[in-house]
Parts: sequence; C-alpha cells; structure tokens
Amino acid sequence: MACEKTKIEQLHKYLDEDMTLLEKKQLEQHLKSCSECEQHLRELRKTIAIVQSTSHVEAPPDFTAGVMNRLPKQSKPDKWKTWMRKHPFVLAAAVFMLLFVTSVSSFWSGGTGSQITVQGQGNFHIDEERSVVVVPEGETIEGNLIVRNGDIEVEGEVLGNITVINGDNYLASAGHVAGEINEVNQVLSWIWYETKSFMSEVVNVFNGSDPPEED
Amino acid sequence: MDAVVKKIIMEVKKGDQQAFAELVDLYKDKVYQISYRMLGNVHEAQDVSQEAFLRAYTNLDSYDMNRKFSTWLFRIATNLSIDRIRKKKPDFHLDDPVGGTEDLNYYSQIAADEELPEDKVVQYEMQEWIQNEISELPPKYRSAIILKYLEDLSLKEIGEILNLPVATVKTRIHRGREALRKRLRHS
Ligand SMILES: [Zn+2]
Repeated sequence: MACEKTKIEQLHKYLDEDMTLLEKKQLEQHLKSCSECEQHLRELRKTIAIVQSTSHVEAPPDFTAGVMNRLPKQSKPDKWKTWMRKHPFVLAAAVFMLLFVTSVSSFWSGGTGSQITVQGQGNFHIDEERSVVVVPEGETIEGNLIVRNGDIEVEGEVLGNITVINGDNYLASAGHVAGEINEVNQVLSWIWYETKSFMSEVVNVFNGSDPPEED
Repeated sequence: MDAVVKKIIMEVKKGDQQAFAELVDLYKDKVYQISYRMLGNVHEAQDVSQEAFLRAYTNLDSYDMNRKFSTWLFRIATNLSIDRIRKKKPDFHLDDPVGGTEDLNYYSQIAADEELPEDKVVQYEMQEWIQNEISELPPKYRSAIILKYLEDLSLKEIGEILNLPVATVKTRIHRGREALRKRLRHS
C-alpha cells in the first residue's frame, strides 16, 4: 500500500462526517491526487450501499403468541385482580346481579316467602288468604300505604299515596284516594329502577377501594 | 410512542400479563431482525428473539423507566445472540455442507412458500448473499454494523446497547466496514 495507513482512518471519519471542515477540505484535496484512497473510498461507499440494500425481515406471524405462551403462568388471583382492575363496571354489575337476582326471585315468586306486607298507619285489615289489604268503608288512612305482594281494596279513604308492588289496586265506588296511586308490576321496570340506584353505589365502592399491590 | 410504551409497561408491572403482548407486537420485528442478522438462521433467530422478550418480561423490574425501552430490549437481544454464537462450534459454518442450512434461511423460507418469478429469485439470492457476508464478520463488528445500518440507530444508542463508549463503537463500525469491503470489493 503506497499511501499511509492513517489515511484509511481518515476515510472512515470522512464517511461518518466526523471531522472538522479543515480536515475535510484537506482529505478531499488528497483524494484528487491519490487514486488509491479514492478507490478505497468508493469501495467503502459501495459496501455500505450493499449492506443497506438488505430488506427488513419480519418476525413470523405466530411470534407474539409464541412469546405469550412461554411467559411464566400467572396465578389465578393475579388474573382475577387484573381483570377486576380493567373491568370495574362489569364486575360490579356481576356482583350486583348475583345479589339482586337472589333477592328478586324470592321477592317476586308467589307462594312461600312472598307474604303480603303493608307499610303505613291506620285502620286497614289484611286478608291473608286472598292477599288483599282492605281499607274498610268509613275508615280514613292519614298517610301513605305501600303494599307488596298483594292487592288493595279501598272502600274508605286514603289521604296519602298508594304504592302497590306486585299487586293491583281496586278502588271501590265509595272509596277515595287523595294522593297518587302507583302500581309497580313489571319485573323489568322494577329491576331497572333498583339497578339505577344500586349500580352507582356498587361502582363507587369498587372504584374507591383499589386492591392492594402484590409483590 | 414513549408515553404509550411506558403506560403498557406500568400495566404489565401491575400484573396485567396480557398487556405484554402489545409490547411484543411493537418491537418484535426489530428484535427479530437483530437476532436474524446476528445468527443468519430463522429458527435460531426466532428462539433467541422470543427468549429476549421472555427475559425482558421477567426482568422488567430492573428496567429503568427513564431510559429508552428499545435500547434496553435490544441490549438483551444482542447479548443473547452473541451468547448463542459463542456456544456454536467456531468452524460450524465452514464444515457445513452446501445446502445443509438452506431451508433455515429467511429468504429461502419465503421462497419455499410460493412460486416466485425469476427476478424475485434473483433478489432473494442477492439478499442471502449479503446476509452470508454479514455472518462472516466477527460478532463484535457484526453487532455494530447491524445496529447502525439495519436498525438505523445513533452511535450513542449503539453504545448504550453494546455497553461501549461511543469511540469504541466508531472503531468497530470502521473495522466492520473495512472487513466487509475486502470481501465485497470484487463483487
Ligand atoms: Zn491516499
């Protein structure tokens, strides 16, 4: 090799644009007169071009699944906690439905366990055999009445509201109700009503108490 | 990008294993590329690059969130590739009969899946040839050349991945280029 070896290092720095303007000018001057260095630089440029002409390879299609299958198995509680963190509303709904379905089914199913109940004050009487609350003629109920799992027959007078859940309201021609009469008979509308009020509470409970971090 | 990656990492750290799949999807091609270029064999590349993700997962707590995740991940992949090369018999590829590893090549694997037109075949042969030349480089030059010219990384990043000062990275790139030049000059 006729030219000095240090020139090769200069050529690499030149390619990397890793030299001062002065060094660059000097080397370019040298290249004009030294065909050996000029040839060397051309070969280096060609080498880089060849290496860069390789197309990018891509990971095989099942790559990610392969990695995920090789990860250490997570314990059940971890999965559950993670899932819970990601789906607080679904979880809340699930827990709620479990509790709710239990209570509703016992509430709505006729026969055993769904006795007629009345909330309110006054001189009415309950006919348990027919599941009817009777406000007799001549009696006046001052406040509200809520009847569950039965009907109400008003022959007297009710000054407040009457709410009949899972039952019917019969107003005798002589009877009188001063307030509103509400019948809640549709299971779905009842569920909807209860869900709305319950759900906000349940969701709040779960958002408010983050599960502890595991180590 | 960085914010997305950090968010995913936080989720994985909290115990959401499935979130890790998103990280794998983001970086699989680059990690696979590093492994393939280092090893020149699709099966080994897949094995090593999947192992790299596995190591990243199990050592995620030691990852410094203030640094670039890709740098950390590529470092794992590069180290595993170099380990794999060391475990191979040093003269393995010299003694191997011609064609013995052909089916393990990335391009011949693609080519095997479909009938290719003549120009594609030539292109694949060209790609195989370049890969073979890269594989002939000593591993320490090979990694520097791959990270610089195939992953387009800065000298600083390459230095962090290889755990070397930038000056050393420069020297390795120079030597790698020089070695390749000697082989490719007459092509
Ligand atoms: Zn010269």
